[in-house]
Amino acid sequence: MRDAFFGELAARAAEDETIWALTGDLGIGLFDEFERVAPGRYLNVGIAEQNLVGIAAGLAYAGKTPIAYSIAPFLTSRPHDQVRVDVALARADVKLVGVGGGVAYGTLGPTHHAIEDIALMRALPNMTVLTPADPAETAAATRAMLGHDGPVYLRLGKNGEPAALPEGSEFRIGRALTVRDGGDVTILSCGPMLTEALAAADLLEADGVSARVVHIGTIKPFDAAGVVDACAGVGTVVTVEEHTVLGGLGSAVAETLAEAGCGIPLRRIGMPDCFAHAVGSRDHLIRHYGLDAPAIAAAARRAPGSTTERAAA
Amino acid sequence: MADASGGMSRLAESADAARRLALEAALAAGSSHIGSSLSLIDLVTVLRLGVMWPGDRLLLSKGHAAAGFYAVLAQAGVLSREEVLDGYCRDGGTLAGHPERGYPGVEITGGSLGHGPSIAIGMALADRHDRSHRRTYCVVGDGELNEGSVWEAIALAGHLRLANLTVAVDANGLQGLGRASDILDLEPLADKLEAFGWSVAEADGHDHEALQRALSVQPGRPRAVVARTVKGYGVGFLEGDVMSHYRSFKPDQRDLLLGALEERRAA
Repeated sequence: MRDAFFGELAARAAEDETIWALTGDLGIGLFDEFERVAPGRYLNVGIAEQNLVGIAAGLAYAGKTPIAYSIAPFLTSRPHDQVRVDVALARADVKLVGVGGGVAYGTLGPTHHAIEDIALMRALPNMTVLTPADPAETAAATRAMLGHDGPVYLRLGKNGEPAALPEGSEFRIGRALTVRDGGDVTILSCGPMLTEALAAADLLEADGVSARVVHIGTIKPFDAAGVVDACAGVGTVVTVEEHTVLGGLGSAVAETLAEAGCGIPLRRIGMPDCFAHAVGSRDHLIRHYGLDAPAIAAAARRAPGSTTERAAA
Repeated sequence: MADASGGMSRLAESADAARRLALEAALAAGSSHIGSSLSLIDLVTVLRLGVMWPGDRLLLSKGHAAAGFYAVLAQAGVLSREEVLDGYCRDGGTLAGHPERGYPGVEITGGSLGHGPSIAIGMALADRHDRSHRRTYCVVGDGELNEGSVWEAIALAGHLRLANLTVAVDANGLQGLGRASDILDLEPLADKLEAFGWSVAEADGHDHEALQRALSVQPGRPRAVVARTVKGYGVGFLEGDVMSHYRSFKPDQRDLLLGALEERRAA
């Protein structure tokens, strides 16, 4: 996802002289192409994230379109006040690009994980929050982000994520995308967790449970109508996010379904309100904390209202 | 832009009028932060009316001095007197107790301290890249220098030799709970700023000529002017009093407040 982002960024910057790139001393070698096509519009501000975001805001106030790049927690938690006041409140045209969303930085430990970034960014008025699923969608989301006037948080995984969406899928800010149809369960996921959600749907299918899988590539603005539609008629809804279950996708879906009066049982899969103290790779942590495909499938089966639960009753 | 003779008296008159307007607005609203407003009115008046050129940017980072800032903007014709009197800190008003980006003449949202210098760097970088002659001026408080983010910005601006940036410190020596020198002593401040690659001058923050001289220097690297000011300047019984940060006055204390201002002016 990271390479897809940088490729698209450089391509856009070659055409649009207002685009600047700032980093807080992260991304070795990744800005080379940008510097080549956009001389004088790249700046490493040093390891100083408050300054990073404030400078980006100043550039935006002066008519530029800066992206500020860092590891997700160092962009969303560390300088949160600058994001809140200088970017969101001022509705500045700043693009915050966080790499390592969720537990992508696995063994580096909880300081490098971003498990509450979606909640933080989603709570800010004026902020758009994008959670692409795979490299191709990352490129499309980058394009959309740079074409959107206003603050955006783009949450990336790391690198090497597999393609998850069907080829030719169209990305539009604010639209939920049904990736697989099914009638018993709706699984909604964001970011690269789509891969796990689709694998869970395969597991459920083997058990005779038909799962619809919906990808939420934009957490905010949230496609409430699309989500209500996607959950109509199923017995269970499961949300899947590489994030705490508080305040992220699961919360957005819960709010939406409750306000729409859907009354469908909901299971939220995510970090269960804890930091990832376990040591290991992303795959290990996903398994350890029950975010992988078997855990998703199991949650879907166990949920009240699910086909298997009803059969057992 | 102001000449040395007639210009100075114009600035003095304007600053006096701004002090009066700031107090009137604070009285009408029953608002606090009067001391902070009075300490920077001379500094901002000199900047806005005696140093800046059209197109230059003025960032108020210590946003709590809003009443003083609005009053100077009114003197500059950017805000109307009526708007300051009727709109400041009022139910249904138009000017909050900390300025918001988007108000006339307001470049950044103040209120959360330590944000201005970084934003100023971003603007100055854009101008430098665009080969614009614009200059960016950022006013911070000395208490505000407690914020680490200020030093992130000071270090980087020095490193980048951002010559189109001036930071003016309203150094009134007081902050939230007492004297800056007792709470977090950052003196010798000028030496610190010099060490970060800035060109630095200190000036009496109520001497217009000295301020204008210090603020007009453009030395090929970032410029800092430490304006030694008096919190509550112009109202004798508020001067140098830490409580001038918090005290608010009721309309029936108008004579007390404005009388003190007149007395100081006549002296």
